[in-house]
Amino acid sequence: MIVYILPKNQARALAAALAEGYELYGPVLHGISGEPLFDRIGDPDAIRLDAAIPYNPPKTVVFPQAERILSYRYDRETRQAEIVRDDLVRPKALVGLRACDLAGLLCLDRFYLGQEYVDEVYRDHRKKMFIVANTCVRPFPQCFCVCTDSGPAAREGYDVALTAVGDHYLFETGSEKGEALARRLGLKEAGPDADAVKKKTVDASIASFDAAATENKAWISRVMNRITTGFIGNDVWEYIGDQCFECGACSFVCPTCSCFNIEDLAARDGRTGRTRSWDSCSYEGYTRMAGEHNPRRPVEDRRNKRFFCKLSYSQSKKYLRPGCVGCGRCVRVCPGDIGMSNVVTYIRREITKAGAK
Amino acid sequence: MSTLTGVCTFCGTGCGHLLNVEDGAVRGVFASPGHPVSRGRLCVRGWHIHELLATEERIAAPAIRRNGRLERVSFDEAVAFAAERLGRFSGDEIAFLASPRASNEDNYLLAKLARTVFRSPHIGLASDQGHGDAAEVLLEGAGMPAMLGALTEIRRAKLILVVGADIAKLNPIIGSELHRAARGGADLITLSSRRTQIAKLSGAHLWLKPGGLRHALAAAAKILVERGWRNEAFVRDRTEGLEDFARCLSGLDLEALAAAAGLTMVEIEDLARRLSRAPSAMAFFSSGISGLDRASVALLYDLFLAAGQVGREGCGVNPVPGICNIVGSYDVGASPRFLAGHRRAEGSEAGRTPRELLAAEPTTLKALVVADRDEEIVRHAARIKGLEFVLYIGAYDNPFTDFAHVVLPAATPAEADGTYTNAERRIQLNRKRVEPPAGVLPAWRACAAIAAKRGVSWDYSSAEDVMAEIAGAVPAYAAVTYPKLEKSFGLQWPCDARHESGTVRLPLEDPGRRLKFAAARADFAAPSPSEAFPLLLMAGKATYFWHRNNIMKKTHIPKREYNALLLLYPRGFVEVNPADAKTLGVRDRASVNVVAAGGSMRVSVRLSGDVKPGTVYVPYFIEDMVPGFLNAAGAAIDEDQDSVIPVRIEKV
Amino acid sequence: MSGANPGAIVTVPEIAVIDEIKDEIEDVRTFYFSFENREIGRNFRVKSGQFVMCTVFGAGEFAVSLPFSPENDRPHLSVRQVGQVTRALHELRAGDKIGIRGPFGNGFPFEAIKGKNVIYVAGGIGLIPLRSSIVHVLQHRADFGRILLLYGSRSSRELMYRDMIARWRKTEGFETHFSIDRPEPGWTEHVGFVPTLVGPAAIPVKDTVAFVCGPPVMFNSVIRELLAAGLKDDAIISTLERHMKCGIGKCQHCAIGRTLVCTDGPVYTYKQIKTLGEQI
Repeated sequence: MIVYILPKNQARALAAALAEGYELYGPVLHGISGEPLFDRIGDPDAIRLDAAIPYNPPKTVVFPQAERILSYRYDRETRQAEIVRDDLVRPKALVGLRACDLAGLLCLDRFYLGQEYVDEVYRDHRKKMFIVANTCVRPFPQCFCVCTDSGPAAREGYDVALTAVGDHYLFETGSEKGEALARRLGLKEAGPDADAVKKKTVDASIASFDAAATENKAWISRVMNRITTGFIGNDVWEYIGDQCFECGACSFVCPTCSCFNIEDLAARDGRTGRTRSWDSCSYEGYTRMAGEHNPRRPVEDRRNKRFFCKLSYSQSKKYLRPGCVGCGRCVRVCPGDIGMSNVVTYIRREITKAGAK
Repeated sequence: MSTLTGVCTFCGTGCGHLLNVEDGAVRGVFASPGHPVSRGRLCVRGWHIHELLATEERIAAPAIRRNGRLERVSFDEAVAFAAERLGRFSGDEIAFLASPRASNEDNYLLAKLARTVFRSPHIGLASDQGHGDAAEVLLEGAGMPAMLGALTEIRRAKLILVVGADIAKLNPIIGSELHRAARGGADLITLSSRRTQIAKLSGAHLWLKPGGLRHALAAAAKILVERGWRNEAFVRDRTEGLEDFARCLSGLDLEALAAAAGLTMVEIEDLARRLSRAPSAMAFFSSGISGLDRASVALLYDLFLAAGQVGREGCGVNPVPGICNIVGSYDVGASPRFLAGHRRAEGSEAGRTPRELLAAEPTTLKALVVADRDEEIVRHAARIKGLEFVLYIGAYDNPFTDFAHVVLPAATPAEADGTYTNAERRIQLNRKRVEPPAGVLPAWRACAAIAAKRGVSWDYSSAEDVMAEIAGAVPAYAAVTYPKLEKSFGLQWPCDARHESGTVRLPLEDPGRRLKFAAARADFAAPSPSEAFPLLLMAGKATYFWHRNNIMKKTHIPKREYNALLLLYPRGFVEVNPADAKTLGVRDRASVNVVAAGGSMRVSVRLSGDVKPGTVYVPYFIEDMVPGFLNAAGAAIDEDQDSVIPVRIEKV
Repeated sequence: MSGANPGAIVTVPEIAVIDEIKDEIEDVRTFYFSFENREIGRNFRVKSGQFVMCTVFGAGEFAVSLPFSPENDRPHLSVRQVGQVTRALHELRAGDKIGIRGPFGNGFPFEAIKGKNVIYVAGGIGLIPLRSSIVHVLQHRADFGRILLLYGSRSSRELMYRDMIARWRKTEGFETHFSIDRPEPGWTEHVGFVPTLVGPAAIPVKDTVAFVCGPPVMFNSVIRELLAAGLKDDAIISTLERHMKCGIGKCQHCAIGRTLVCTDGPVYTYKQIKTLGEQI
């Protein structure tokens, strides 16, 4: 839509304006370690727009780690049953969402709000949301969004997109809500060269990937075909499976992972709450059926399944893009040193070996 | 900020985490990226601690048993009643079962209550035989009764020896560090009689015969010492007692040792050579739930001492407890062998463990005070039922309360300030993040209330006050304060005037620090199979501990995961090598009788390539197996991790 | 692959009353139910082959196939108690309430199989999900050719629907073949596992479809026999079971390769099953 100028010293005003109508979330730094985290913001000054990708994924605002979605009460004496849905709608403003995380959010949108049914729980979380995207003017060591077409700049899904240029931000609106905020802040429109400046900034960011994003490279396009057709030797998955500590973290940190568990938990006051919580296909119990049959018991099969889910064509069709956004979190969090980039490397070696035969 | 810094209180690794607290309740947890040990990782348990911290399965209110039923009463009434009844006992009549997952503040005051108010030296954890042995060996040998190296230095170790522990399952994040070190080029070697996950990830797995660990360590030490592969300068300048150790080794037959260990001479020589040449080396073994026996720890320590792999960066002999605060419990004196500050309890101050007293025939025990225990005590159910008075203090619903005359609720780690000391001596602070249920207090306040009713007035206004006293009583904690803990990811003791910011590894440069070779035994028998009992059965306590653990049952996902295996074998299982199974004519899940000289048990077969032919394995924590068979096997199981029983398997 | 079911109860369960309970074989009970809200009941349109998520208040929710035909057949669930939630269900009595979400899933493809012979191969409680199909086919007898039921269980005590089967046998062109695993006094039919029924039954293969349902260990052997007899893989239809939590294609517990059993299935042809990308 329209590009405005937001002086850097006015970034606080942006956050404060949003705080009036929304719960504020954004990147902050941990008090002791200085590591970047994504958290609820009390004081708008705490937001760090220049921080690296937050260690925890912003998906928690639309897909909480554990939440009650409804509760019921059943009295066996009177045979009275009553079910009440929890009201989950809370206006939330996400300030400083990186392109990879926004791409992840859009995957969740398509998955939860599309397909056969609309997931009402997700829909409620997603309502009344204001998104301020934050272009990565330089990559961070763990990044590989360029391998997955998820950055460094967001192309859609935001109300406002910020790009840092010198002493100000280019403030790009992506919706009516964004326009209204620009007016509210009294921002001046940017000059006619704004698009070119942004393009130059993004190109420079992409060009510096080799030098700056040193930890991971995962050209997933090269392996999507293999993963989809399944022509990967079981020994590859066994090698990966031997290293798996079955902690589930890869699913928890991943911006596109959306699997959940449901438990009915009795509370002391006689109500029972139905709780939805994060689950992971890494776990052995994930597919176990009552009565002992477990169709996906071996850990190597579970590893296979997870990467199939991330990269196969069939899953990509649901997301309208690959399931991996190149944020690099799974690499950092894995106790077994697995992670997307390593797996892609192992599979590419397979392909090379097979080709050489 | 709703992500709040804290430390996980499951196992002895002490990973950092961030608790998500919203609307006054714990809603989630995340791994803490900056934490020096966990570096942004957690295991399946740690990732679900919020399920435990938010559970409603709590002991909600104090209660007194009347007419066979526990009736709710006020805190004052419960405390007064308990204090009066407990006051009828003292000395050998009363024992205190402390919790390895309680905070230092809780355990310090429980120990103080025991010793100064009830004049009983009988305070202990139950799952700590192994840790106590390791602590004694390292205290005598190096002056430091805990890990000599540091978890944060694993990446600097060029050789890592994992002795026995299924560490990838017990302390997954330590297992992760070991794996990372191996991928970074370190020589990872596992010495164990079962093929554990860490064995599969090791460069070499020295696959022992069950019961052969001591023989393997003695053989490696003999080669190292007698071939001149020891670190001469280090041994000469820093240690004493090599002569006695060498003399002990000289009387041993290398071939016989290798045969008993089930290893080849080449394997043992290779181990000794690599250990002597490694620029830095660490040894890891599990302590706590089922630690190495004293003889093994002594041999391991002596081996590493002779190789000079102690006291330098990337080096150390490292016991790893399976539960979050075993180390701290020892530091503050919740042990019959140690008073606060690592002082040996001598004479009338030396106590016996509650378990010993319960098992004694006849017993002097009449009363028991229990803090947050699991049902492993089921072994002594009959004896406990016969006691005159039992007080239970804990946060979570627990079948143990069926034995209690008075129950007092306690706060969880998220509901009270408290410190916990992990495997590498790191003292970490958990701040109170949510309010406990109405009227529920930290366990240490219950202790103070009981003391007050007994006429002893303690004046602590906060947990911080308790820590101030601990800092006075425990020299290694002398410079620890809450503000310092809060500004950091904890402090490793010794943290005193000489080491204001704590100590990473054994401080060799401290004046008066002498390293002594531990007294090693040379007389170890190896159990052998016979015609009647041709298979060697290993009973492992640690690996499946978490499957039956009471607090694990309060979670959802970890409980599901731990049950995934058990539900396939509801009557318990015995792991049998496929070749042996074929000979016996049994398939997976077949029902069999495992028969030993002292008893038998009916379990299901689980085919596994993780045990060698000729050996079978049962996990200790499967119900129904504890009475009957394993009780009959008795002392053999209790003694050490590597306990072995000759058995035969019969088709049913 | 199917689309959504319009009118399905998606998120919040609807309350239903258990009108009557009938004991079937050991550990299996049938619960006849009706919705508390009559309007909901009227709009509850099921397709044969679908399933619902049933809430047992205080215990949890579980997926269960609907064994009743949409036409003139009393709504009910037949459930074996095998886990924590189903055990809690078995403690309920007539008059107790449960929660229902659904109906979910695709249904049996009756339009596509009009005019064909229909073979049902079932083991144990696998006959329950097929019941709705058999009832439907019998309700439209003229639309189908020969009907064969090949059904076996571990013992004669574990055969479901014996009374109903006796009635079905009275229908023209309805053949039955039974088996139990081990001989029993008084049992005059076949003895052996279900797959061994296929050969002797001399099934038609031209213009024929087979519905298969039973424990996983039986499934592969039966398929082998049917293929050996000459049936094509797209003429073999099964209904798959998986651990389910949401029923609406979001939690992904029921994923098999590239399919979600709750929305794409649970009814699949063997041809589809072969290409799912994972073992069932």
